[in-house]
Amino acid sequence: MTPRTTRRLLTAAGLAAFFTLPLVVTDRYFLHILVMTGIFAILTSSWNLLTGYAGQLNLGHAAFYGIGAYTSAILATRLGINPWAGLLAGGLLAAAAGFLLGIPSLRLSGPYLAITTIGFAEILRLVAMNWVDLTRGSLGLYGIPPLTPIPITSNVSIEFTSERNFLYVLLIVLLLTVWAIRRMIRSGFGVTLKALRDDEVGAESIGVDTARFKLTVFTISAFFAGVAGALFAHYQRLISPDTLSLGETFAILTMTMLGGLGTLTGPILGAVILTFFSEWLRFVEDMVKLDVRMVIYGLLLIVTIRFMREGVVGLLVKLPWWPKTLGKGGSDGR
Amino acid sequence: MDSLFLQQVVNGLIIGSVYSLIAIGLTMIFGVMRISNFAHGDYAMVGAYVAVFVMMWLPGPLGWVNALLAAAVIVAVAGVVSELLIFRPLLDRRTDIDMIMVSIGLFILLENLAQFFFEARPRMLADPFGGNTVDLGLVSTSQLRLFCLAFSCVAIAGLQVFLNRSKTGIAIRATSQNSRAARLMGIDINRIYTLTFGLGSAMAGIGGVLYGTLFAVYPTMGAIPTLKAFVVTILGGMGNIRGAIFGGFILGVAETLGGSYLAMEYKNAIGFVIIILVLLIRPQGLFGQREGV
Repeated sequence: MTPRTTRRLLTAAGLAAFFTLPLVVTDRYFLHILVMTGIFAILTSSWNLLTGYAGQLNLGHAAFYGIGAYTSAILATRLGINPWAGLLAGGLLAAAAGFLLGIPSLRLSGPYLAITTIGFAEILRLVAMNWVDLTRGSLGLYGIPPLTPIPITSNVSIEFTSERNFLYVLLIVLLLTVWAIRRMIRSGFGVTLKALRDDEVGAESIGVDTARFKLTVFTISAFFAGVAGALFAHYQRLISPDTLSLGETFAILTMTMLGGLGTLTGPILGAVILTFFSEWLRFVEDMVKLDVRMVIYGLLLIVTIRFMREGVVGLLVKLPWWPKTLGKGGSDGR
Repeated sequence: MDSLFLQQVVNGLIIGSVYSLIAIGLTMIFGVMRISNFAHGDYAMVGAYVAVFVMMWLPGPLGWVNALLAAAVIVAVAGVVSELLIFRPLLDRRTDIDMIMVSIGLFILLENLAQFFFEARPRMLADPFGGNTVDLGLVSTSQLRLFCLAFSCVAIAGLQVFLNRSKTGIAIRATSQNSRAARLMGIDINRIYTLTFGLGSAMAGIGGVLYGTLFAVYPTMGAIPTLKAFVVTILGGMGNIRGAIFGGFILGVAETLGGSYLAMEYKNAIGFVIIILVLLIRPQGLFGQREGV
């Protein structure tokens, strides 16, 4: 088998697993974990586009997520706007915020950008906490309607109150996200992004309009995070300013690093591993009465960066039977 | 100028002095090693817990003084250990993304280890001055707050003298300005790195005791000093010690004034608004070119 066929087979198997899993699984708790995994996978993939591929360290990703969640929730509860339109509105408003945040990034990098993005998210969190008339403050917004049913015939329609159907919506959005990112990085745009990440001055000197590229990536990355937030709002039907917290961004960051920063499958893998792992740890903690989940998160992040910079995907690629280009997402091997 | 305004300025200067104390360590470490340590505020948290435990054995003012010393020593050791184990191996990485992310890992780790060992409930450090107030005519404040201001100023001045007069201090400044040239002059760079990290974290440790006595001690208390310290260092220009001193006072005063005249609930956002504006207008910080330590 050529690597190309193996790759296609693995992709097909992965997709098949993704789409049959919700049919096989009946346990609601398990379905809920799958939903959370899906939401995190969209977040990690979009964060990875900005930080992994374009090298722009964004520590305020939760802001985009929160903007999406609050926009769609407020539109639906206050103005009765259809949640499907809300998804789009949430994504677009987050994209606008991404564009805005992209502007200072044109002049900033490293710690300066990191702090600016944290500041942006913290300011929004404080607004969500204190603009009680709009957001109900720390109580959170509740009574958010679920996604409205899609009518098939006059008396049959698809409901989205069950975890299973919602999971399919989520899978489709995730696939769209990954497909869009894949198209981007496999094109000339992706090559430019990598040039931007590896040597910004060099890229500029050969005529790359780095400003335009940075703004584009900020906007796109924020859009997907915003849609993920809106999806979360209509799934959980209750959101609080916690969606905007630093902890949320750090979870996204740890998952991506663990899976493999700057790879296509890494962020998804990381989201799957850590979401399931932390649910499993919940059981262990209940048994041994210790709260060690976050301690392990911190350790994992440190160890990953020190010893396996390419994440789990980097380890998989070393397996002899693994097709060499899968999961590297066109990365240059870092 | 009414007395409320003056009172807020004094309050701002007091809290600002503690911000400066904590931020100096951060800016020094950045200046010498180019490490942006997002776990810096957790050294302050560790320092505050050292004080909690010292004062369990030895209550009262004497315990508090000992706590300051113990915090400086223990946090310096903790800083050196984290430098050697976590940061040093990554010094040759090409991007600063790795360094920032590993420090975030350390931040998550320290915060949750503290949660694990010390319980989540906030603890109070007894005021060594028994809550006595000082009346200074137009304004009044507590003896404790006045002591915090004086102590921070003395510690900061002491550090300045050390950096400007002693041979080791000059070596630290040389390394910060140009580490390659410093090495060529026979300075043991690795020793300087360890020393800087130890010194910088010790300052945070002391700052943590003051901060913890002024407010409260709890496992997640490190996040706020970290963010404030970053705001202060960016205000002053990263790596610039004098900038960090002024930056701390500016942030302290801006926060108390903004908190009392604009909106109390947005007090913690003021620093971010200021730095976003500063970065848009003057990315090198308020105090000119990046100077080095």
